[in-house]
Amino acid sequence: MRDYLKTGITLMVITIIAALVLSVVYTIVEEPIANAELGAKLAAIRNVLTDADSGELLIAEESIPETASELAEFEWFPEGFTASEGIIYQAVDSQGRVESPAYKFLKDDGSEVFVAIGIAVGYGGDVKSMAAFVKDSDGVHLNGIKVLEYSQETPGLGANIANDSVQKRFYPIDSQGLQKSIKVDKDAGVTPIGDQIDIRKREDGIVTVSDVMTGATITPRAVAFSLNAISEFLEKAGVR
Amino acid sequence: MMAESKFSVLTNGILKQNPIFIQVLGMCPTLATTTSAENGLGMGLATTAVLAMSNITISLVRKLIPDKIRIPAYIVIIASFVTMIDMLMHGFVYDLWKTLGLFIPLIVVNCIILGRAEAYASKNNVLRSFLDGLGMGLGFTASLVLLGSVREFLGNGSIFNYHLSDVKMFAMILPPGAFIALGMLAAFFNYLGIRRSKAKKAAK
Repeated sequence: MRDYLKTGITLMVITIIAALVLSVVYTIVEEPIANAELGAKLAAIRNVLTDADSGELLIAEESIPETASELAEFEWFPEGFTASEGIIYQAVDSQGRVESPAYKFLKDDGSEVFVAIGIAVGYGGDVKSMAAFVKDSDGVHLNGIKVLEYSQETPGLGANIANDSVQKRFYPIDSQGLQKSIKVDKDAGVTPIGDQIDIRKREDGIVTVSDVMTGATITPRAVAFSLNAISEFLEKAGVR
Repeated sequence: MMAESKFSVLTNGILKQNPIFIQVLGMCPTLATTTSAENGLGMGLATTAVLAMSNITISLVRKLIPDKIRIPAYIVIIASFVTMIDMLMHGFVYDLWKTLGLFIPLIVVNCIILGRAEAYASKNNVLRSFLDGLGMGLGFTASLVLLGSVREFLGNGSIFNYHLSDVKMFAMILPPGAFIALGMLAAFFNYLGIRRSKAKKAAK
């Protein structure tokens, strides 16, 4: 009996010490972790708010959020949508979904810029992409995207989505292209080359990736689905 | 064993008892993370850190832990260190954590760590246990980097993202390539070992 008690108590002491140590480490890293997460998000927002054609920021430098509270001021909750479990919108074909909250920024000329994070299932798990859509007199167009999470995609294949040269193939897309919905070249059954890559993307929403990420189809498709989900969400929210 | 010099304790894990190619331990993270040299290096260094720290701790408390519950006690210690590494990497090296995040918890079930705790740290003093952990960890890291380089080179034509050739055999990056590359390398290292021991015999 004494033996059982002794081993039990020893094991308990070990677990208590381990828990104490871990809680101390957690309190130390809690803030750096939050900062790192926020920093990555803010950097992505800045990235998608950069004009795809001119390379200049869409909104004034000083109004780009730099802290969590500044970012919260731009949160946007359109009427008729309720967020559940961090998701504000599920695409009709249920291939993609939109994370809550979305953000709304104002350009100097009064036109609106919407930033949202779309999620779709890739090869090994969720692929998350942030995108900025601009609404002006010509309608709504996609300005820029940044793929945020792709950690479960195959390195060397799907994970090449991290390259800026690949992500650039997804934007900008004009409003007519968005209406035809975004798809990768393989699904569209065409292989644009040269100038056609840019033209087919802007006008038809056809994203050419087969030359820059050979062998990977599921990951870019997931990005296309998540962008379509955001576009659909904006349209239903009255942004058109 | 006690007669062993400290230096040979350290180098043992790197060559003679290389955890991957000779002992064939810790296959799950080995096959899963070596899709590129960079991932192999990150995983290897994280494992080395856990291995060295858990070996030190286990060696320190080895006389306090009753024999019956030594395995659960070791696992608690190892899991705590892994959780700690995971949190520290999340906070301080966010980009690396993003790519390796999925694999860090896997270190808990890496049998090299429990294996060294049981076979070495529970029987030896702190300094030797630390050297053993460090050596095994470095051997593990070197093997992962080698395996990752071979797979990245054949599958993506690069090593550490440095472009070298246009040959791209995607199968090498996918799971089958892991088995093929590991099998070839293990055969090669065992061949070297056998040849060396034959040469020794002949010299006698």
